[in-house]
Amino acid sequence: MSIINYASREIQFKIVYYGPALCGKTTNLAYIHQRVNPQNRGDLVSLATAADRTLFFDFLPLNAVVIKGFVTKFQLYTVPGQVIYNATRQLVLRSCDGLVFVADSQWEKMEENVESFKNLVDNLARQNVAIDDVPCVLEYNKRDLPNIAPINYMEYVLNNRKKRLQSFEVMSSTGQNVFATLNAVSQILLHKFSKQSEVPQTTPAPVAIPVEPPTPTPERRSAPV
Amino acid sequence: MNSIPVLTVKDVAMLDGVLGDFLKKAEADLTVVIDRGGNVISRFGDSSVMDVTIFAALAAGSFAATCELARRIGEIEFNALYHQGNGSHMFMNSVDDDTIMITVFGADTNVGLVRYYSIAAAQSVAAILKSLRHAGHGFTFDASDISAAPIFADS
Repeated sequence: MSIINYASREIQFKIVYYGPALCGKTTNLAYIHQRVNPQNRGDLVSLATAADRTLFFDFLPLNAVVIKGFVTKFQLYTVPGQVIYNATRQLVLRSCDGLVFVADSQWEKMEENVESFKNLVDNLARQNVAIDDVPCVLEYNKRDLPNIAPINYMEYVLNNRKKRLQSFEVMSSTGQNVFATLNAVSQILLHKFSKQSEVPQTTPAPVAIPVEPPTPTPERRSAPV
Repeated sequence: MNSIPVLTVKDVAMLDGVLGDFLKKAEADLTVVIDRGGNVISRFGDSSVMDVTIFAALAAGSFAATCELARRIGEIEFNALYHQGNGSHMFMNSVDDDTIMITVFGADTNVGLVRYYSIAAAQSVAAILKSLRHAGHGFTFDASDISAAPIFADS
């Protein structure tokens, strides 16, 4: 939960990058850490295994002046994507103010994407939070790889709901749209607390019909969330 | 409309009073009150040698992980944890269901003294935070106060 300290004139927000294993959550944070002005960020802390798989979480603190008169501190976390670490994901999700769901665009990862999104919804529900109540954006990552699903298909699989989320095509390895994603979730989050509560975004048109994959196999298709 | 919980200048002064008194009695170097999500609520003492934000995130993670260990042996959680170093040590104790207090201390004192005084300090902090929750102060701002420019730039 965010908190404002009038004495130090600071506001803190926690943003969590969520998604299946090896989808690029840590790569997002590493790119942001590498490219943000060092005066506006702290160290990137990574609690990883010897094989660089996230064991507990990655953490990156960022500072910005986006609200008149206050220093706004954004704390970026990733969760461990591996299925066995669900207890850790629940811990990291605690008091979260905003979410970036990172999906792997490769066909063979579609089922894992769906499972991970369901897991996110379940873990939020355990904290009595509905996904629609948390500022959240979708990141379709690895758009530079050859074996990827079309965006319309990913939208159908992951974003086919009444209240649709803003989504981004991202290549986290090169940084394309990494900042666009972070800025979008930050803006939605800030506007949640503004008196107008209106998020300045263009709501995408609903995707009614899924685009068929070019060379699908039946087991690769995933049911919509 | 959503609002952000507020610590007013007066609230911060009250917390500083409790934490300052605790540090003096326990002869510790730094104490930080955080929520269990890793957000810093208040701090008092010498924090010049570390990034308190990172410290809080890691401490919250460490405390949460040990809760799972506690459940394995039939406890709800461990109320207090002690990490012993060569020169600097850390003591963490539960304040309430949402809050943890972390104390860093060196060779000038010992864990028994820190632990003893932390109990009363934690109760005082819990009482202040409880009164804040009941007061229900919330902060909102105008959309025009939010910068329209991208918040973070890819430099």
